[in-house]
Amino acid sequence: MAKRKKPKKRYLIKFALAGLLLAAAFTVYLDFTVRARFEGKRFALPARVYARPLELYPGLSLSPAELTTELALLDYRETTLPGEPGTYHWSNDTLDLVTRPFVFADDPQESVALRVEFANGQVRGLLDCGDGQPLQLARLEPALIGGIYPGKNEDRVLIRLDDVPGHLVDALIAVEDRRFYTHHGIDPRGIARATIATASGDGVQGGSTLTQQLIKNFYLTAERTLRRKLTEMVMAVLLEAHYSKEEILETYLNEVYLGQDGNRGIHGFGLAAPFYFDKPLSHLDNSEAALLVGMLKGPTYFSPRSHPKRALERRNLVLTEMAEAGGITEQQLRSAKAAPLGVVDRPSRGTSPYPAFLNLVYRQLMRDYRDEDLRSEGLQIFTTLDPRVQHSAESALSKRLARLEIARSMKPGTLQGALIVTSTQNAEVQAVAGGRDPRFEGFNRALDAQRPIGSLIKPVVYLTALQEPQSYTLATLLDDSPLVLQQAGTDDWVPQNYDKEFHGEVPLRAALVNSYNVPTARLGLALGVSRVMANLRRLGIERDLPEYASSLLGSNTLSPLEVTEVYQTIAGDGFRTPLRAIRAVLTAEGEPLQSYPLNVEQEIEAAPLYLLTAAMQDVVREGTARELGAYLPAALEIAGKTGTTDDFRDSWFAGFTGDRLAVVWVGRDDNGPTGLTGASGAMTVWGDMMAGLNPAPLILTEPDNIERVWIDPVSGLLSDEGCRDAVELPFITGSAPTESAPCGPRSLGRSIKGWFERTFGR
Amino acid sequence: MRAIRRAASLAAALLLAGCAVLQPGTPPEPSQNAAVVALLDKAQAQSSAGQLEAAGASLERALRIEPRNSFLWQELARVRLGQGQYRQAENLAAKSNALAGDAKGLRAENWRIIGQARSRRGDLQGAQAAFERAGAEQ
Repeated sequence: MAKRKKPKKRYLIKFALAGLLLAAAFTVYLDFTVRARFEGKRFALPARVYARPLELYPGLSLSPAELTTELALLDYRETTLPGEPGTYHWSNDTLDLVTRPFVFADDPQESVALRVEFANGQVRGLLDCGDGQPLQLARLEPALIGGIYPGKNEDRVLIRLDDVPGHLVDALIAVEDRRFYTHHGIDPRGIARATIATASGDGVQGGSTLTQQLIKNFYLTAERTLRRKLTEMVMAVLLEAHYSKEEILETYLNEVYLGQDGNRGIHGFGLAAPFYFDKPLSHLDNSEAALLVGMLKGPTYFSPRSHPKRALERRNLVLTEMAEAGGITEQQLRSAKAAPLGVVDRPSRGTSPYPAFLNLVYRQLMRDYRDEDLRSEGLQIFTTLDPRVQHSAESALSKRLARLEIARSMKPGTLQGALIVTSTQNAEVQAVAGGRDPRFEGFNRALDAQRPIGSLIKPVVYLTALQEPQSYTLATLLDDSPLVLQQAGTDDWVPQNYDKEFHGEVPLRAALVNSYNVPTARLGLALGVSRVMANLRRLGIERDLPEYASSLLGSNTLSPLEVTEVYQTIAGDGFRTPLRAIRAVLTAEGEPLQSYPLNVEQEIEAAPLYLLTAAMQDVVREGTARELGAYLPAALEIAGKTGTTDDFRDSWFAGFTGDRLAVVWVGRDDNGPTGLTGASGAMTVWGDMMAGLNPAPLILTEPDNIERVWIDPVSGLLSDEGCRDAVELPFITGSAPTESAPCGPRSLGRSIKGWFERTFGR
Repeated sequence: MRAIRRAASLAAALLLAGCAVLQPGTPPEPSQNAAVVALLDKAQAQSSAGQLEAAGASLERALRIEPRNSFLWQELARVRLGQGQYRQAENLAAKSNALAGDAKGLRAENWRIIGQARSRRGDLQGAQAAFERAGAEQ
């Protein structure tokens, strides 16, 4: 028997030893876990994305209302006497404001007190209020328009313990963990107190130390099991063994969840202070600090924005505890309790008010950065978004689509659309609308809808022709008679004009202006489909597209963004500049990391591009886009092109003024017919939008190898100013017709007339 | 050159004040807009200090205000030439030419920039042709 007992005892010892070893190993593992996270980068900081800064200068076209909108976006507050950065005051047409200091990509800028005077929708004068001197130029800081967030959209602004006001720390310790500075991670007395309080029905108390709370948030899941609780306690002790109280406290203050803004989580006191009070953490008073600390118990339940009464009661409870702990005097307690909540109104913005634009920024960033870095390094991204243009684009699209649906008795929500606005010369993207609901974060039609482009291809066909001045000019007569293209293995291709008619011989310019399909198809076939498609690539399409005869009439699908690339090169006088949504990237510390400078590449010679653009101005003046005159004055000389696809499934308009290019697509997500042409759909959105943006006229610079010649449009031959129906057209020098029409300069009639004039004078 | 710009900026300021007297024979002003002139000045100072990237950024700011100002495009071409970005310098000078209209002096200078850019990247024949164009402009 005794012999049997001995091995059993030995087993027990072995068992106990093994258990101890296991516990030790687990502790070592926990220790490793605790340190690994604390030694590395503790927090993932989102990239912050900024709009373009508004530059103010005398002569800038800007109304007081537009500037007020910009200031609202920057969270400026109106006061009677602006002194603090971020405040302003209007008196009639004069604005006094104090800018906030800001580090730009090119240089840092101090806070400056400005006076801006307006007259007739323009900035008339600019004054530095400090020294009373006039300024030529002043730059406001750019509006924060979103972030690229780590998982679960956690947003935070890191703070150091030195930045935290003492009374906030006092409040925190008074409410959450009174013995924080003396315990070693766990607080047995706190646990006992909590247990008694819970048992005696005095409300449920946590009993977790700040250290345990941090461990729970930092390392563990939310499950409530005994095992997890034990793990938490061991880790808390380990954390305290390795790190100072200050470090633990600082990390806690940066970690905690303090509310929700749409889909964006507000983490840490550094972000909560501006989010709720619009001021930095260091400026919080007793009642504000108490409010934030009180919210820790349940940021949603005690939200001062959705449950102000509850939040107020909770705040006052925290204040009482602060007074009990000796952190504030009776006098301070009374005045803090009497203070209002002090929370600023602010519309919910979520991760961004401009998700479609942010989407484009993100994609352009992904060419140079890893997703992980974008979501953790706290990079500062300076973009090209112009909020004024963006709002104009959003409102034009959503309002116009709703009106079109009513006018055409469509079910509300049938139509969708997309819109991109850029600046013509430097290719900066000023606005992107990815659908009629600008806040929707899903399918971005501006970037991802692939649609047949229809007649938007025609300028490319005509450009290809005009690059051969010996064969084609704006006056060349094209054949608009029935066309049947027979190719082995495919159905016959029989293009039709929109009006189902044939127009005989039409001048090249008129064929584009009226968007005739048949002469365009015949012209394109003569030039060669592949040459036209090669030109499309030169203009900005970077992928290979299938090449069919029907490509000449726009059967290929492109996204609105790709169409914008193509028209950008046309609007940029034949110089290609890849569309840019980003100007510069700075590190979290404000060090320049990367800039995206303006690059241009001449792709198309000046003269044929000039001829094409002049004809596109005629499209608006007298062709398929002439209804645009109902929206914008003719003096703007806008150049554009309409596009409509089979059965009215896609309605396009691409056009540019002297300063902006915009491309609009209107259609249905299910690809069904809309009954809209390019002019009756997309162009109306374009017109609404541009009308609100005070566009600059398009004044083309005539290349020096261009001459102007009077032409008889019917024959395409030389004519003269006085002749009936004669038009003056630009030609590449030496390409104008030499033969004269009956009324032309070398015609018989003209010779006789000239002889009479020479003989008898006028 | 800076002195000229200063004078131009002063002239522009006077013009805005409504008390300018246009003097015949002065060289064409780079811009009527005082903000653009101020940014040009800044770019010039940055260039002289060797801060070419900053100079480029200032010129881009000016171009956002006056995107069709051929003088600004030329300045940017000059900055890129200084940065050793010869192809960009050439393209930017060509862009300036496309917007220059009949400003002969400006066009000639653009052709000189194109000539320098070409010669520095070893295209001597192309450079020669550009310098000839520069000569022909004047």
